[in-house]
Amino acid sequence: MTERLRDIVRRISRPPSNSTRLINYYWQRTRRNKLAIFGLTFIIFLVLLAVVGPFFTLDPTLVDFENKNLPPVGFTIEQSVYNTETDDFITTKVSGTWNHPLGTDSKGRDMLAMLISGARVSMLVGLIATGIAIILGTIIGVLSAYLGGWVDNVLMRLTDIMMTFPFFILLVLIVFIFGPSLVIIVLAIGLTGWTGTARLLRSEALSLRTREFITAAKAMGASDNRVIFRHLIPNVISLIIVIATLAIPGVILAEAALSFIGLGDPTVPSWGIILEAGQNSLRTAWWVAVEPGIMIFLTVLAFNFLGDGLRDAFDPKSNI
Amino acid sequence: MDNVSLKVSNLRTHFLTRRGIVKAVDGVDFELRRGECLCLVGESGCGKTVTALSILRLFDSPPGKIVGGQISYDGLDLAKCSLRQLRQIRGKDIAIVFQEAQSALNPVLTIGDQIIEQIKLHLPLDYSMARDRTISLLSEMGIPSAKRVLSYYPHQLSGGMKQRVLIAMSLSCDPQILIADEPTTAVDVTIKAQILDIFHELKASRQLSTIFITHDLAVVAEIGDRAVIMYGGKDVETAPVSEIINNPKHPYTSGLIECLPDVSKTADRLASIPGTTPNPIEMPKGCAFHPRCPKAMKICKQQEPPEIITSKEHKVSCHLYT
Amino acid sequence: MGKSWLRGYITKRLIYAVIIAWGILTVTFILVRVGPTSPADRYLANIAAGGHDVTQAVAAIEARYGVDKPILVQYADYMGNLFQGNWGWSFSTSMPVTELIKTHWIYSFQLILLSSLFAAFLGILIGIYSAVKQYTKADYTFTFFSFVGISIPNFWLGIMLILIFSVKLGLFKTYYDTTLPLFSIDNLKALVLPVITLGTGMLAGYVRYTRSAMLDNLRKAFVTTARAKGLPERTVIGKHVFRNALLPLITIIMFDLGSIVFGGAYLTEIIFGIPGLGQVSFNAIFANDYPVVIAVTLIGTFIVLLVNLITDITYTYLDPRIRYD
Repeated sequence: MTERLRDIVRRISRPPSNSTRLINYYWQRTRRNKLAIFGLTFIIFLVLLAVVGPFFTLDPTLVDFENKNLPPVGFTIEQSVYNTETDDFITTKVSGTWNHPLGTDSKGRDMLAMLISGARVSMLVGLIATGIAIILGTIIGVLSAYLGGWVDNVLMRLTDIMMTFPFFILLVLIVFIFGPSLVIIVLAIGLTGWTGTARLLRSEALSLRTREFITAAKAMGASDNRVIFRHLIPNVISLIIVIATLAIPGVILAEAALSFIGLGDPTVPSWGIILEAGQNSLRTAWWVAVEPGIMIFLTVLAFNFLGDGLRDAFDPKSNI
Repeated sequence: MDNVSLKVSNLRTHFLTRRGIVKAVDGVDFELRRGECLCLVGESGCGKTVTALSILRLFDSPPGKIVGGQISYDGLDLAKCSLRQLRQIRGKDIAIVFQEAQSALNPVLTIGDQIIEQIKLHLPLDYSMARDRTISLLSEMGIPSAKRVLSYYPHQLSGGMKQRVLIAMSLSCDPQILIADEPTTAVDVTIKAQILDIFHELKASRQLSTIFITHDLAVVAEIGDRAVIMYGGKDVETAPVSEIINNPKHPYTSGLIECLPDVSKTADRLASIPGTTPNPIEMPKGCAFHPRCPKAMKICKQQEPPEIITSKEHKVSCHLYT
Repeated sequence: MGKSWLRGYITKRLIYAVIIAWGILTVTFILVRVGPTSPADRYLANIAAGGHDVTQAVAAIEARYGVDKPILVQYADYMGNLFQGNWGWSFSTSMPVTELIKTHWIYSFQLILLSSLFAAFLGILIGIYSAVKQYTKADYTFTFFSFVGISIPNFWLGIMLILIFSVKLGLFKTYYDTTLPLFSIDNLKALVLPVITLGTGMLAGYVRYTRSAMLDNLRKAFVTTARAKGLPERTVIGKHVFRNALLPLITIIMFDLGSIVFGGAYLTEIIFGIPGLGQVSFNAIFANDYPVVIAVTLIGTFIVLLVNLITDITYTYLDPRIRYD
C-alpha cells in the first residue's frame, strides 16, 4: 500500500508551473520508458474494456448448467458426467467453444463476461479508494506541515499509530466488524491507506515552505489558504500523481485479497470473488482460478510500470 | 632511464557517453623522476585528474577507457596489464590521495579498520603489527592521540585531520610513487599550509616520487620541482617550476601566471583568462587554446601545434615557437 | 565518545512505544464499539429457536459482556483486561484466546522466518549483482522480474503453485500436514510451496531495494579509495559499498513487515491450510469469534511496534553517524 512508497518515492519538486510545456517535457521523459508505455496502453485498454465491454458480452450472471465447466478455446479436458440412464459415471471429452472463448465456471456463467464486469469493479475500487486515501493524506500532510505546533504533533502521532497497524490485518478487522459490502471495503481501504501520503507530503511541504517563492507569496500578503492552495499544492501535484499510480495496484490487490478470504461483497463479481470460487474447483476447472489471477497480475504490473516510469520522469535521480 | 620512476607516453583516456565521446585525456606525455615532485597544473576539466586516475585505472569503466598510449612502471605497462597485476601495484607501489577527505573515507568503517585493511593486504604483517604501524603512521602525520583515533569514525575528525588520515593511509605500504589529487583544494588556508608542510617533510624524509595535481600555481611554486601544464586533455608545456614561473613560453601558462594575485602591485581586480575551458566533446580544431589565446594566429585554427624543445628541460606545444 | 546518551534514547523510544500502543488499543476499541454487531448476535438464532424472549436474553448476554455499562467504564475494563493478559474467551474453540495463540503462533513464525531468510538472502545477492552490472542485459532481466514479483498477487501465486506442483505433478501435498513434527525434513518439504508463495513478493522487493541502495553508493568517492588501496572487487563491493547500503535496506525491510509480510503470511496460511495465526483469525471470522480477530490484529500490530523499536536501536550501532538526541 502507500506506506511502501514512503521510501520508494523520493523528492519530487518543481517550481510552480501549470504550463503545457512542462507537462510536455514530462511526457517526453515518460515516453522513453517502454515499460511505462506498455503499462499505460494496458490501463487504457482495461478502462475501455470496463466501460464499453459489458455491452458486447453475455450476461455475466446468466447461469447455464448445460454448459458448466467449459474450458477456454483451444483446450480440451476430460469430464466425468453422471448418466442417469445407466446410473454410472462416464468420461467425456469437452472442448472450449467460441460461444465462451474463456470458458465457463461451475454454474455455466461466461468467464469473459465475468472478467469484464470484474474489471469494472476492480478499477472503480482502485480509483475511488486511492482517491480517498490521497485526498485525506494530502490534507493531513499539508496541514501538519503548514500549521505545525500541536496540530502537527497530534496528526503525526495519529499517522504513526495508523502506520503501525499491519495494513491487511487491519482491513480484515474493519471489514469483519462492519460487514462485507463494497462501500465498506472502499472506505476501509481509503481511510487506512492515507498514512504514507501524509508523511511524504508533510516532508515535501516542509521543504517547500522555506523556499523563496513561498516566502515571496507571503511577503506579498497572500493568505494562508491562498498559499496552501495556489502555491503548495500545485507544487506537490507531480508527487501526488506518482503516489496515486503506485497506490492503485495495492488497492486492487487488497480488494482481491479480501474477496479471496471471503470478506468481499458477495453481490458484486470482482476478480477476487471469481478467483475465490475458482480455488475450490482447481481439479475440475483450473481456468476459473487462473484467468482472474492473470487479470489482477497484469493490471497491477501495468500500474507499477507506469508509476515507475512517471517517477523516473519527475525525479531522474532516484533509481529504485 | 634509471632515473625515471614512471613514464606516461601519449596517454589517451576517453569516456563513451550518450552525447558523444569525451576525450578527457587525449595525448599526454610526461615522466616522473625518482624523488621529485611533479605538478600537473591546469583549470578544472583539463584532464589532470583523469590522467592521475588513468595511472591506476581508477576511473569508472564503462564509460571510461584507455584508448591509447603507455604507462611504463617497473617494466610493466599499466595501461595494458591485467587488473590482477594492477591491484598488486595499487596502494602498494603507487598510492593516491584524493581531493575531498570528507567523501574519500568510508563513513561506516573506523579509521583503524580502513588503514589496517590496506596494510594487511600488501604486507606480511599480522593484525597487531599492522595496528602498531598504523599508530606510528598517524603520529608521524601529526595526529594527536593516534591510538584513540583508530576507533574513530571519519565524521568524528575535522577536515584537516581527515586529510592527514588519508595521507597516512596512502603511505601505509611505503609506496614508490604518491599521487596527490588536489589535496589542498577542499580545505581552508591554515590546513592547506599544514598539509603542504607534511608534503615538504615527506620529501625530506622519504625517497618518494610525487605527482601533485593542482590548479594553484602558488602551491606549485612552493612544492613542485617540475610542472606539466595541461590544457584540453594535452600537456602544453613542461619545465622546471622556476622556468615555468619566470620564463613561461605558452600563452596559457603566461595567462595562469598573470592570474596569480601579486601583493607588491595594487590592482583593481584580479586578472583572468577570458573565455572558458573547451567542451571536451567538441574540441576546437587546431590548437585547443586558440579561441582564448591573445596571440592566436591563422595557423593555430588549422593545425595542432607540434611539441618544441626550447631547452634541455623545457618543452612547449605552441606555433609561436616553430 | 560513550553510548551514555543511548539509555536516554531507549527510554524515550519506550515511552513513545507505550503511547503508540495505547493509541492502537483505543483505535481498536472504537472500531469494535462503533461497529454494528453485538456479542449477542451470534446467539440470536439459537435463542429464537428455543422460544425464549429475545430482548431479555440479549440484555442478559450484553450484561455478561459488560456492553450495557457506560462507555468509559467499558473502555477502562477493556484496557485493564488486555493489560492483565486477559484477552477474552474464544467461543468457537472453547479456550482462552491466549491459549489459542500460544498453540498456533509457532506455525506463523516458522513460515515468516523461512520466507524472510529465503527472500533476504537471494534478494540481496541478486540486488547487488544487478547494481554492479547496471544497464546490462542481466540487470534489465532481473529488474523486469522484480516488477513481476511485486505485482503477482501472492494468494494467486499460491494457487498456481498448488495447481502445477500438487495437482498436476503431484510433487507436494495440496495441504500442509499439521501432524508433522516442527523440526523435521518432511516439515521443511511441506513448507516449500508456502515459502515460495510468501517469499516471492518479498524477494522482488528486496532485489529492488538492494539494487537502489547499492547504486546510491557505488559511485561514491570512498569506493574509488577502496579500489586505490588494491582491494579485490569482492571486498570493495561486499564490504565498502554494502556496509553503506545496509542501513536504508534495513529500514525498508523492517517497514515491509507490517504491510507485505504479515498480510502475505495471513493469505498464505489460508491457501495451504497452515494452522498459524492467520488461519486462526480466518476461522474466527466465519465463527464470528470477536476476541480472536481482535487479538490477532493486536499481536501483529505489537510485533510491528516492537520491531520498529529494535530497528531504531540497531541503527545506532550500524551507523556511527546517527545520534538521537
